[in-house]
Amino acid sequence: MKRRRVDIKTTGRSDVPLIIVTAALVAFGVLMVYSAGSYTAKRIYGTEFYYVYKQLVGAVLGAICMFLLSRTDYRILRKLRYVILAVSVALLAIVFIPGVGIENYGARRWINLPFFTIQASEVSKFGFIVFAASYIGSHEDKITKLVGILPVIAVGGVICLLIILEPNMSVTICMALLMIVMLFLGGAKLKHLAMIIVPLIAAAVVLILVEPYRFARLMAFIDPWESPLEEGYQLIQSYYGLGAGGLFGVGLFNSRQKYLFLPFAESDFIFSVIGEELGLFGCLAVMAAYVFMIRRALKIALGAPDRFSSLLCSGIAAIIAIQVMVNIAVVTGSIPPTGLPLPFISSGSSGLIVFMSGIGVLNGVKRKSHRSVELLFVKPTKPAPSKSKKASKRQRGAARKRLVRARRYAGDSV
Amino acid sequence: MKSSATVMRKRTLVALIALIVVFCALFGRLFYIQIIDGAELRAKAGEQWYRDLPLKAPRGNILDRNGEVLADSKDVFTLYARPNAVTDKPAAAGEISAALGLKYETTLEKLNSTVGEVTLKRKIDADTAYSLREKNIAGLYYTLDTQRNYPYGTALAQVLGFTNIDNVGQSGLESYYDKYLTGVDGFAYTSTDIAGRELPSSVTRYVPSIRGCSVTLSLDANIQSFAANAVTAAQTEFSSKSASMVVMDVNTGGIVAMAKSPSFDLNDPPRDNLELLNELSRNTMIVDMYEPGSTFKIFTTAAAIEAGVVSDGDTFFCAGSRTVDGQRIRCWRSIGHGSQHLAEGVKNSCNCVFMDLALRLGTEKFYSALHSFGLGQKTGVDFAGESSGILMKEENVKTVDLARIGFGQAVAVTPLQLISGVCSVVNGGTLYKPYFVQSVDSAEGVNVATRLPEAVRRTVSEETSRKMREYLVGVVANGGGSKAGVAGYAIGGKTGTAQKYAGGGGIAQGKYVSSFIGFAPANDPKYAVLMIVDEPQGYMYYGSLVAAPYAGSVFKKIFDYEDIAPTALPETEYVAMPDVVGETPADAVAILEKAGLHVELVGEGEVVVAQTPVPNSMVVKNDTVLIRTKN
Repeated sequence: MKRRRVDIKTTGRSDVPLIIVTAALVAFGVLMVYSAGSYTAKRIYGTEFYYVYKQLVGAVLGAICMFLLSRTDYRILRKLRYVILAVSVALLAIVFIPGVGIENYGARRWINLPFFTIQASEVSKFGFIVFAASYIGSHEDKITKLVGILPVIAVGGVICLLIILEPNMSVTICMALLMIVMLFLGGAKLKHLAMIIVPLIAAAVVLILVEPYRFARLMAFIDPWESPLEEGYQLIQSYYGLGAGGLFGVGLFNSRQKYLFLPFAESDFIFSVIGEELGLFGCLAVMAAYVFMIRRALKIALGAPDRFSSLLCSGIAAIIAIQVMVNIAVVTGSIPPTGLPLPFISSGSSGLIVFMSGIGVLNGVKRKSHRSVELLFVKPTKPAPSKSKKASKRQRGAARKRLVRARRYAGDSV
Repeated sequence: MKSSATVMRKRTLVALIALIVVFCALFGRLFYIQIIDGAELRAKAGEQWYRDLPLKAPRGNILDRNGEVLADSKDVFTLYARPNAVTDKPAAAGEISAALGLKYETTLEKLNSTVGEVTLKRKIDADTAYSLREKNIAGLYYTLDTQRNYPYGTALAQVLGFTNIDNVGQSGLESYYDKYLTGVDGFAYTSTDIAGRELPSSVTRYVPSIRGCSVTLSLDANIQSFAANAVTAAQTEFSSKSASMVVMDVNTGGIVAMAKSPSFDLNDPPRDNLELLNELSRNTMIVDMYEPGSTFKIFTTAAAIEAGVVSDGDTFFCAGSRTVDGQRIRCWRSIGHGSQHLAEGVKNSCNCVFMDLALRLGTEKFYSALHSFGLGQKTGVDFAGESSGILMKEENVKTVDLARIGFGQAVAVTPLQLISGVCSVVNGGTLYKPYFVQSVDSAEGVNVATRLPEAVRRTVSEETSRKMREYLVGVVANGGGSKAGVAGYAIGGKTGTAQKYAGGGGIAQGKYVSSFIGFAPANDPKYAVLMIVDEPQGYMYYGSLVAAPYAGSVFKKIFDYEDIAPTALPETEYVAMPDVVGETPADAVAILEKAGLHVELVGEGEVVVAQTPVPNSMVVKNDTVLIRTKN
């Protein structure tokens, strides 16, 4: 089916609720990075503001990127897709050059710039989204065939391989999940997706059978109390924080676990500190904010001017969703422990800039979206009289109206 | 075929639903951890959030019967360092070693170690710790501790005992009453980070320590000092192996003083020489036994009077020895005592008299009396390691053994057994269980336990007791105990001089245990004093000359201290010491006794070669003098 190009006025406006929730999460992140990291920063760097300064710099740079990208025509991204992909892969490769890449915690993940360090994998996630969105967007006919999805798998595979060599297992898993989700959203056949997933699972099973010890370490999260000072330590400390928080938390800045008991309290395990200081309600509020943000992003995706921008937006929504889920799952001991920051909140300026840029891209797409989103993807058909009557009742709520219509048309389409 | 846009729309919806499902599951997990497991996790987390520094409870005081402090606890400091926090290690090591008298190299080595914390010195006195702290050396920390302090450290070393570096009683009363003296440690809870560093916001919560109970003894610190001075002087004068003294309250069994020389200072025990420490801290008056010799004759006499086998008018003849079952047993004075009444026999301490008394009693009656005096059994004093002494098995006692036991041989007693038995003889007949501690009170002054004098049994009748006092006063007034006398006061007592046995069972030449046991005031006894000098060196070894004078000096001080009025105005009569050198021993004794003096003989020669004091010096009448004979 050929997409119609209709020259209709674009909205020309950013998504204000999305900007608000982003700003709220970033500001909350700065606050929590200060709370969770001040003691560690004081002990290691001599100033309790070490992490919070970096986070503020990231937030400011991120805000600038976000603004600029929201004013940029997203189609430029598509034109530059190969450049962006090449840069992403190059960054991942540069990490391995001694002197440029920084090794930390036994892994090469950072690129040393004179004034800044970049975590290459953060950039590559978005490079992949741009590439995948443009490929899937412009090859909607091929995507239902196995051969058609191979380029996406190939590029995703190369990026995964480079990240796993750092090594960074958690980002690799996120990349793989992102790839699968984008193919899924782009319309790939489920049996083709299964053909990717099943071998991956099989490979994992083989690895486990070959190295049962690694498996045992991996599974330590099921009962961390078996090795409270080794594999189970970090998770137990996370549990302590969450448990101490209870329903309402011990109060902002009052975490006890942040006094070096909980490793990476300001980064990968910041959600545990949130749970300790603000309780179950605080956790609920943060999770609700993410759900709201992702919903807004998906809404922009559904209202996007073309397949590329739609997939671009849902890809951004997907990477946010995946990282939030994996992070909270790790902090709550629901999956094997892996180091992954919580988007917008965890300390780390590369990630913050990249994620805020992603929001900028979402707004850029939103600004180019048509006023009447329903015109975009579908042929308008004659509405049933009863339904149109019903619809007219809801004229007052413009936002709701659009969604309802979108759903209805989706249902009516052949 | 569905339109690709429709597929995307549907799949986006599916993804959003999946996301919400996952979020709900994660929220459920959070609920489980934070609410259901919350309390348990909080409790476990609390264990790692606080460090509890023990606050050492001071040990309870030990007081004498007047409340004088015999042992208390003073604040001292433990110095430790966190080596990685010490900035200039050589300079710090220099300061520390100079201030605390440590070796520079050892200190520097400790500061250079890689451990988190290292103890540099314990038990630093407060002044030194404060002055070192003023130097503000980085990385040094001080914790408060307590150390035992003994104002009568040397005088009471064997009685009080010492504690180890952790203030746990190791010997003596410190050990016996450890559970009362030990307090309950408190704690200071501090919020810390993972490495135990106190948090800036930390509020330290204290659980105060509870001081140990104070223990009040029947001991009197002043009388203890008299006794300690006496034993030190005696041991020095006679270069003896040891000298010891027990003072007992005759009417309660309470131990008023117990001293031994050589001793050591409890404030600085020789911990690096365990053998020496064990030897010096041994309370020989309770844990060791010895052959008492003539002091034992008090029991023989009392038993005989009580059993009615002797009366005042009975006469005994001493020719210098008795033959019992074909064995010739010698009296201490080879020239004999001649014919004597019982009172004279006691005064002369004539072995023959007591052999006769023992034989008259027979084993059964004699043994029943000895058991009644508490011999051959532990007294039950509140002190660890008490010995029960040795009484031969009754069925094994042959006549000759019976005769020997009569004058204090073939029997072993502890000094404490002897003095408590003698107290019963002179106090009207009641044997009291000896004791140190009369009350235990909490640090706030609440009484925990009080010990009342415990009468074990009656040993002799009032009448026998009265008669015994009379005889024993005679010993001090006119007999061998004269040097224990104090002018103006009536003192009763008995000397003892026992030969020691060598390893093989034979007599050890020149090794004696010289002793004196006495009581005063004689008509209504209050204190009993037992003085023992073990192995006095030189020719002067008689209890009358070695032990009695020191007992007398202690009695004199007690009379002053206790304001005990003299019973008579002192009327001292002097005689000139006759010159008996060159005489035969028998003639010399006759001359001296005629002059009103009591004679001790050294040597078994036929001619007197020396006398103490020299001729013509003025001697108090009834005093004891010494002559030495040679062939």
